Amino acid sequence: MRRIGVQSLPIALFIAVFTGIVLALLSSYTLTGAVPLYFVGTLVGKAVMIELVPVMTGLALSGRVGANIAAELGTMRVTEQVEALETLAYDPHSYLVVPRIIAATLMFPVVVALAEVTGLLSGWITAINLLDMSTVEFVKGLRLFYEFKDIWFGLVKSMSFGLAIALIGCMKGLSASGGAEGVGRTAMEAVVLGAQMILVLDAFWAVALL
Amino acid sequence: MKRRDELIVGATIVFTLLIVVTSAVWLSEMQLGAGGSVHVTRFRTVGGLGVGNPVVLRGVRVGRVKEIRITESDWVEADLHIYENTLLPAQPGVVAASASLFGEWQAGIINMAEPYSDPNVMNELAEAQAEGDDAWPGATLPDIGQLTAQGNRIATDIATVSSRIQAAFDSQTVHEVQRSIREFGQMADTLTRFTERQTAVFGEVSANIKHGSDAVTNAALNLEHALARLDSATAEGELDAIFNSIEGATAEMRSAVSSFLTLVRLAEENQASFVAVLVGADSVMTRMQNMTGTLGLLVGDSTLYVEATATIAELRALLTDIKANPRKYFKFSVF
Repeated sequence: MRRIGVQSLPIALFIAVFTGIVLALLSSYTLTGAVPLYFVGTLVGKAVMIELVPVMTGLALSGRVGANIAAELGTMRVTEQVEALETLAYDPHSYLVVPRIIAATLMFPVVVALAEVTGLLSGWITAINLLDMSTVEFVKGLRLFYEFKDIWFGLVKSMSFGLAIALIGCMKGLSASGGAEGVGRTAMEAVVLGAQMILVLDAFWAVALL
Repeated sequence: MKRRDELIVGATIVFTLLIVVTSAVWLSEMQLGAGGSVHVTRFRTVGGLGVGNPVVLRGVRVGRVKEIRITESDWVEADLHIYENTLLPAQPGVVAASASLFGEWQAGIINMAEPYSDPNVMNELAEAQAEGDDAWPGATLPDIGQLTAQGNRIATDIATVSSRIQAAFDSQTVHEVQRSIREFGQMADTLTRFTERQTAVFGEVSANIKHGSDAVTNAALNLEHALARLDSATAEGELDAIFNSIEGATAEMRSAVSSFLTLVRLAEENQASFVAVLVGADSVMTRMQNMTGTLGLLVGDSTLYVEATATIAELRALLTDIKANPRKYFKFSVF
């Protein structure tokens, strides 16, 4: 959990910071003139909480966590450590797969939640420093169409992303073959498939929950 | 997992939970631990009003929409959570309306004792109130989408009318309109000149009226003086003498009228014979005009005149001859 979750925080927060900045600037660019500027807060809030931070964090963690799991288990497979566990009567799924899946499923929402807060903060700081907005205006926009669903929707989505990335990483890792080259190919496939699954799940949750 | 890792992971999860819960509460403006009351409001439709939308009283946020549900009889009930220590009007009603042009909605509490400016809203409130029980009556104003659609229909109609006008106003029509405008201008000039002349005439008339009014005033003064004199004259019996003279003259006139009436009666008695004479004369004159009858022929036929003239001439010659030669015509013999 520390490796999958806590150690993923820097990259997730880094992405969130710049996502918030870009969202605030793009929102003001889009809204200038016709729509009140406090809608920057609305757009930043909705985009950060519902879509951009969960998906971008998921994609980033797909590379970091998914590749890590696939490479680790793939190496164990090609070096016959998995077979060794089976020889010792250990179930490799319960010993290798289940902890990773639980860790990813539980820690992805934590990482995404902190990233969302960071994205909102960076958007707010950008708005008051670069867009000549006041905190009151930004907060007004942020609260304008806020629903509690906005928060749990992103968290549920990120939970499914963690589950999918861990599952794909484990599946690909345990099916690795062909030495170091096979491990590399396995890691790459895990990342690509994980990214695709994130986008598919994103669409699925949008259809199912919105 | 090492003890240190467990602490780090646990602290991260707890910290994240705190951040998420705090953010959710702060964003939703929930007042945790604060009291308040929940009031049911009955709407026919809530429009764009949703759970979490603000409830305002004279522009001040005093609560939020807690729940919305459809009930029997096609009513929609919304639970409004009103914050503690909010001074509500004696007869509260709720009007759901757009808070801005961008789709934000709010429920505004109004005082039913003060008439609302929109009669449709008043009707909706009255209808909801007529349902009874303790629910606040609610009404909904049209949202921006409906107003925009209405505006779009109006714009479409204007465009249609414009295109029809454009089709109707070809170059010939424009020329005719221009000519009409020119003629109208000429007519306006004529009317202006006429008005100026009439104004002068009216001025003269006014002056004359003023003079006439002065004359009437003078006449009235004179009449007043005359009446005063008459009043003074009648004071010494002159008027009685005048009346007595008038009475005598009247009696004489009555006698003359009586004689005249007698004369008229005689004329009426001779009227028939007079008419017969006139008819006969008329007949004679008619026959003379038509050259019939003896007189007509005598008047109209020149032959008789010529013959008579010739006869007279011959008679004159005969008389002359008789005078000259009496023996030619008369013979006297005794034996």
